[in-house]
Amino acid sequence: MIAEKINLKSKYQRYLVALLGVLILAITTAIFLGSESLLFTNLNEQQSVILFEIRIPRVLLAVSIGASLAVAGAALQALLRNPLAEPYLLGVSNGAALGTMLAFVFFSQFEIARPVFAIIGAGLATFIVWQIANSRAGMNTERLVLAGVIVTTLLSSVLILLTSLLDATRLRSFTFWLLGDLSQASPTAFYVVFATAIFGTIILLSQAKALNLMMLGERDAADFGVEVKKTRLIVFTTASFLVGISVASGGSVGFVGLVVPHIIRLILGSDNRIVIPASCLFGAAFVVLADTVSRTAISPRELPVGAITALIGCPLFIYLLKKS
Amino acid sequence: MPCLFSPFVFLAKKARLFILKIVNKKTIFFIFIVAISQLLSCKNTLSIAPITTFRDVTDDLNRRVKLPNKVERAISLAPNLTENVFAIDAGNTLIGVTEYCDFPEDAKKIQKIGDTIKPNIENIIALKPQIILVSTASQLENFTKQLDENNIAVFVTDPKDLEGVYRNLIQFGEIFGKTEKASEIVASLRKRVAEVELKINTTKDLKVFVQISREPLFSIGKTSFLNDVIKRAGGISVTDSINEPFPKLSKETALASNPEAIILSESPNNIEPNDVFKDSNASKNKRIFKVNADIFSRPGPRLVEAIEIIAKNLHPESFQ
Repeated sequence: MIAEKINLKSKYQRYLVALLGVLILAITTAIFLGSESLLFTNLNEQQSVILFEIRIPRVLLAVSIGASLAVAGAALQALLRNPLAEPYLLGVSNGAALGTMLAFVFFSQFEIARPVFAIIGAGLATFIVWQIANSRAGMNTERLVLAGVIVTTLLSSVLILLTSLLDATRLRSFTFWLLGDLSQASPTAFYVVFATAIFGTIILLSQAKALNLMMLGERDAADFGVEVKKTRLIVFTTASFLVGISVASGGSVGFVGLVVPHIIRLILGSDNRIVIPASCLFGAAFVVLADTVSRTAISPRELPVGAITALIGCPLFIYLLKKS
Repeated sequence: MPCLFSPFVFLAKKARLFILKIVNKKTIFFIFIVAISQLLSCKNTLSIAPITTFRDVTDDLNRRVKLPNKVERAISLAPNLTENVFAIDAGNTLIGVTEYCDFPEDAKKIQKIGDTIKPNIENIIALKPQIILVSTASQLENFTKQLDENNIAVFVTDPKDLEGVYRNLIQFGEIFGKTEKASEIVASLRKRVAEVELKINTTKDLKVFVQISREPLFSIGKTSFLNDVIKRAGGISVTDSINEPFPKLSKETALASNPEAIILSESPNNIEPNDVFKDSNASKNKRIFKVNADIFSRPGPRLVEAIEIIAKNLHPESFQ
């Protein structure tokens, strides 16, 4: 029994090391590829600016955004016991998008307004969904998902309405951003996303055990001594922050929160103590590779990264689903 | 006194081609004389008779567009086309324009029929225009059948450079019967450009980056009319190898291009250069300037003004 446990632990460790290897490989590839070819043995001043001030920060931004979205998706799916639970489905993402858009329209001169408004938007959307889902009979998963769908639809309509009212030049930059665009983030935004991704993953990992028990059902979890309400609040808030910050700096990079945790579960099983860190590493590698494609496929022009993540993610997901 | 015979005269004229086939020329001459005498007897009301003849003009997509001889009701679906129509003194024929058509001042008074991307087809048909001037073929693709049924001609323009703008002005001259005015305008525009080119013909072309939007970074490519504008103003666009009119550009490439001058198409989101240019030659030599987006982004007669402004900013020494 004990030997089995140790065996399982070392097996998980091996998987995590392997995924870390994949991530490092992805990062290295991404750093070597770009619209400008660099001779790494002999960089001139301009090339070192390209490498250190443009390419590497962007790759690390992709790492942070990928990790944030994948971890948020994994935790929400476990919390709601719903395979479709995703930041987008729960309205969190659209709340952040609307917040960013309002900052974009009214405070376009202040760069700091975008992440601030995005967090406020994500938080408000989460709060509203929370309030709608909370009834006298308490909250259940169905009510929560339904509330999420309603809020998402409402926010989408407002977003579409606003885009129609914007003039042509603003419309163009915003439609690009809505599809996911990692080229626009400022260095300060990058540090914020990076820190959020790390702290978010740690917080969610601390809830992994509770989430495991909650997957059995909330009543059972409560019987096992899990503080259901507290766990729910922590997971929901952390996920909102992760998604809000990601959307503010990289736009809506879709499918990461849905596809990555599912792939991980299909390969490694559904123990959240492994799913959360593995999703973090794999999500990061996934977005890094997708962004590399978007930077290099038609260089010096660029593609929206959200379209690439969907194009890579969906077939992979279907393949794994059929195979299992 | 109204002429009782005028409808018959009209019919006779319409039937002329048919008769030509079945009777000899002498008979036709006789009928002609009779017709003329009828016409002369009621010459006061002659002009009221709705005798509409058609002619063909060819647009920028090489489509043959059938037009009435005299165009009196036209709709423009792009601000640059509105400016073209006003430039050849045919502004009074415009009965509908887009919300963006704000130049010249008189254009603001014309009824608005939606914007360039989504014009209101019901408004358009209700205004009973004879011709619609559009800037892209896709603008009215979905409505072509409806417009055909209502005998509304669609004239498509697609200027790729300054010559294209001149060509549009001449075409509009033909459409609105203002050929002389159109050639006059084109000649004066050509003269202004020639004057600029003469002043800068000894200077070295500067490497120019045209920034359309700061974030995300959009520039101009080979197929944009602005590429030609920059060339004529004594510059060479650093992005002129990209085969697209307005590409979203990689920041790495933008930085590596190291332009000697940066032109900003002035709009609220585009008042300073992107951060990647902070060490470029353009920033070091403070050769960064804005051009009003309305002048800069409309391929109409004011494009020449843009050339003058850009040339003066790129080569101030030649304009002293």
